[in-house]
Amino acid sequence: MAERYDAIVVGGGHNGLTTAAYLAKSGLKVIVLERRSVLGGATLTESPVQGYKFSVASYLVSLLRPQVIRELDLAKHGLQMAPSVGTYTPHWDGYLDRRTDHADTLREIRKWSHRDADNYDDFKQTVTDITRFIRPAIDMPAPDPYGDPKEWLEYAGLAKEFGHLPLRTKGALLDLITGSAYDFLRRWFEGEPLIGTMSASGIIGTFLGIKSPGTGMVFLHHYFGEIDGSFREWALPQGGTGAVAAAIASAAQSFGAITRTDAPVKQVLLRGDKAIGVVLESGEEVYGDTIVSAADAKHTFLDMLPAGSLPTDFETAIRNFKFRGSSAKVNFALDGLPTFTAAPPGNGHLMGTVSISPSPDYMERAYDDAKHGHPSKRPFLDMLIPTLVDPSMAPPGKHVATAFVQYAPHKLAPEHGGWDNIKEQFGDLVVDTISEFAPDFRDKIVGRQIMTPLDLERTIGLTEGNIFQGEILVQQMAFNRPVSGWSRYKTPIRDYWLASSSAHPGGGIMGAPGRLAALEILKSKRGAA
Amino acid sequence: MAAKKPAPKVVKAATKAELPPKVQKAPRAGKPAATADVVVIGGGHNGLVAAAYLARAGVKTILVEARTELGGMALTGDVDGVRAPMLAHTVGRFRPRVARDLGLQGKVKLVEPEARNFAPHPTNGTAITLWRDAKRTAAELATRPNGEKVASGYLKLDGRLRRVGAYFEKVLDGIPPDLDGGKSVAELLAGFAFRAPFSGLEEGDGREILRMLPMSAADLVNEYINDDHLEALISWRGSRYNASGPISPGTGATLLFDSITGDGADGGASGETVVAIGGPGALIDAIADAARGFGAEIRTGAQVTAITERDGRVTGVALASGEEIIAPYVLSTLDPKSTLLNLLGVEATGPELRRRLRATRNTGVTAKLNILLDQLPAFPSAGSTAEQEVRLRGRITILSDILGIERAFDSSKYGEMSDVPVVEAMIPTLIDPSLTNDKRHLLSAVVQYAPVDLKGGWTADARKTLADRAVSVLESVAPGISGHIVARQLITPADLQSDWGATGGHAMHVNEGFDQFAQWRPLYGLGRYETPIDGLFLSGAGTAPGGGVTGAPGANAAEKLIRHLRRAAE
Repeated sequence: MAERYDAIVVGGGHNGLTTAAYLAKSGLKVIVLERRSVLGGATLTESPVQGYKFSVASYLVSLLRPQVIRELDLAKHGLQMAPSVGTYTPHWDGYLDRRTDHADTLREIRKWSHRDADNYDDFKQTVTDITRFIRPAIDMPAPDPYGDPKEWLEYAGLAKEFGHLPLRTKGALLDLITGSAYDFLRRWFEGEPLIGTMSASGIIGTFLGIKSPGTGMVFLHHYFGEIDGSFREWALPQGGTGAVAAAIASAAQSFGAITRTDAPVKQVLLRGDKAIGVVLESGEEVYGDTIVSAADAKHTFLDMLPAGSLPTDFETAIRNFKFRGSSAKVNFALDGLPTFTAAPPGNGHLMGTVSISPSPDYMERAYDDAKHGHPSKRPFLDMLIPTLVDPSMAPPGKHVATAFVQYAPHKLAPEHGGWDNIKEQFGDLVVDTISEFAPDFRDKIVGRQIMTPLDLERTIGLTEGNIFQGEILVQQMAFNRPVSGWSRYKTPIRDYWLASSSAHPGGGIMGAPGRLAALEILKSKRGAA
Repeated sequence: MAAKKPAPKVVKAATKAELPPKVQKAPRAGKPAATADVVVIGGGHNGLVAAAYLARAGVKTILVEARTELGGMALTGDVDGVRAPMLAHTVGRFRPRVARDLGLQGKVKLVEPEARNFAPHPTNGTAITLWRDAKRTAAELATRPNGEKVASGYLKLDGRLRRVGAYFEKVLDGIPPDLDGGKSVAELLAGFAFRAPFSGLEEGDGREILRMLPMSAADLVNEYINDDHLEALISWRGSRYNASGPISPGTGATLLFDSITGDGADGGASGETVVAIGGPGALIDAIADAARGFGAEIRTGAQVTAITERDGRVTGVALASGEEIIAPYVLSTLDPKSTLLNLLGVEATGPELRRRLRATRNTGVTAKLNILLDQLPAFPSAGSTAEQEVRLRGRITILSDILGIERAFDSSKYGEMSDVPVVEAMIPTLIDPSLTNDKRHLLSAVVQYAPVDLKGGWTADARKTLADRAVSVLESVAPGISGHIVARQLITPADLQSDWGATGGHAMHVNEGFDQFAQWRPLYGLGRYETPIDGLFLSGAGTAPGGGVTGAPGANAAEKLIRHLRRAAE
């Protein structure tokens, strides 16, 4: 007789592990089943080049919920994060180097536009006001327009606060929710590298251009960022993003959860409309009272359930849920630091993000290529050299550079012959792009790892390589994520729950869907008891 | 600015170049200034509708139009002696309730052809016709590859758009609800407009609206239909006249708004095609007659150079002639940037509003090409001659697929015109032979994308290039048409800016889409027709519910002002 669990969590990424930890902490007997031989999902550190450690997929932490850090005591479980400070944007006519010091930042911005420098504080204040207002929503389940009025009462405070916001803040919030990142920034700024780089927050992981309406929402999503309560900061976990998953796994295990790797789930077992367990690829069956999927909506509903078990409307809605992956990851092992042609003295500009986003047109043209099925001829890059903050990632004196590359559309035009065919060529393109601004970069490379959207899909299980497990589109957020009426982690299958980034509030290393799903599951168990 | 002026203060316009030179001139001595309760600026359909509503309510109204003719963008002009729609070539979305309120029924003859949209494919010789009768459309679609599925998808989409369009007709066509709400939670929840307006909708449709509004038209249509040409044809309506492509999010809102159904409107998946006999100007004449009949005074050739104000309160308008009209209320149907950035100074608007409004999207990308032909051109994919005469009576839309439209759009983002523009044509002479008295025909074409800020400017060469490109698109579906051209007339967005006064040369005043929609059209805080300047009301296509010959912004703004006047009188 197979063993029985109170809860089975399918998928050992950071959300699955978070759910498992919360459920186990409440005394449930929990098992996590992970398809791969490592835990972490897209929060993953691996060493494909001997001696060098890469954050294979996700590479920065900003959205990890302070509640998760605190309630699971992740510091005790080894999580250490160092702030990643500043953004350096090389440009053909110079550079823009923004770090923590306010006066220095203004001086840098003033190099490109006096007006921008004059408006910078107002911009910062506006965005801070918006994020401060909207942030509570990411720690609450979304209210459903047709749902229980009680759900709306949870939002009464927020609604009241909206009424008290000054017009300019309300207006700016609406601009972000409905408009483009570019148009939002243009209300304050004109400088090429400043708009180019800031607008990048609106397209990360998104198959839209900086001028496409809807990218304001993605911008807002990234500006939620906070590390343990402090605003708009990014951080590098010591040991790569895999360390986040490791800390959460350790917390889960300390509460008694079992984590099993190399345990790919083939299908969810149903009795009538109730989920009762899972069957693994090996044929082994595992039974549980509650089944939680931390895989994306497509895997959760279309791949892991027997055909015909979902209501037609729901199934149609899931098929309409958009995943269009738009990005790739290229990780480099380097035997020294690259030298950028236009840069301040020292290495300070390399400590944070190196952003290849010199102008709005550069960014928009990168999107135009992708829209027609081509990798961007000149892609946007978000590059980090984590070894400057965390030398343990490479042998002494050596470095690691991790480049997030966009656009790399999952669906290529037929003439490319698929991603596997152009993978190395694409890697070369990334090298060329960096070398345009740092000519010696190519000579420092001792190894590289290319993760095309197809690789992200095959290796990590992200449908269409979408890093958010479903696009951050206005129509796929809040009560519409993943399906209108089903945003509160429940599914049409009884005792089958969704805890992945396909649920509210979406992707990023947040742990929020995992935590909120666990809280809803526990609430429903209390209700049943 | 110079020393203090005598009251009423004439606020100097912000952009000198856009104004005639007489701004600063004092009122002519000896001639008493005219007075009115309300000055309506702009004699397009919205200005005329507003003036008619105001006068009907007993408000003393003077309407001033800068051009010598009324009509604005709904003007019937002249090509080589033949009357032609200058810009708008259909009037299908004119609100029946406005027509009823103003007693326009019977004053203008409207014709609705059975064929609403004929789409000959530019390369493969096939064609799609969208009929007024969706079942007839479906029957024809069923003969296409994968036709059964396409036909049933079309009917499903049509049904959805009609039901959702009925909601739009009820809710979004009126004065947008106040998002700001009041102080109570209940009011705020109602203000979020999630529940209350949905009462007439089935739950599924209500949920769909909230999902569809921010979508791209391409995604929206693709959920129902899998047919490159048909998807492009329907989703195009979300970008027509606008600097967006079908893949741009928020174009779903424009498509939904264009699909309004109910109370005499009939949009759906095909969209409306209604032609006024005598051209759109016939409708203008009827509204102007109604306005005059109610007692409104209408002046043409009267360009407003400034809205005058004192201490944040409107005092009237100054005209290019040097004359002033004194009025406690001004309702402007010009584009919002003209009204607030050009006709008022920073001391009236404040810097914050100007900063936000400047970023409002209003890049015009649509040109109009009127072509006079010595005979009806043949469109072989429309079938026999007899069949052609039926199918060609609606819009003729020439595009191939979504990415083709996107490619055309991409150029415009960098100040270039499309290599292969999208062309939407009408042959109004087929429906209204009175426009010409011989066998000549007029082809009126919307040509997109042709950005107002064309690199190198709109030189004679550039104009010729655009017209030639549009003609070669026509040639691809109507071989030989070039040989029948007698005259061509091109109106570029730059012309719309200089001759019609539309900032950015945008036919819809400001770009349409979910980002500039309802109560945040043109900006949150300006979307309910009131402005921060006491007595100044904003109307026209740049306000809710947006562009098109609907009369709705004019009617809504006037109703809001009338309510305000009644309250003030109490």
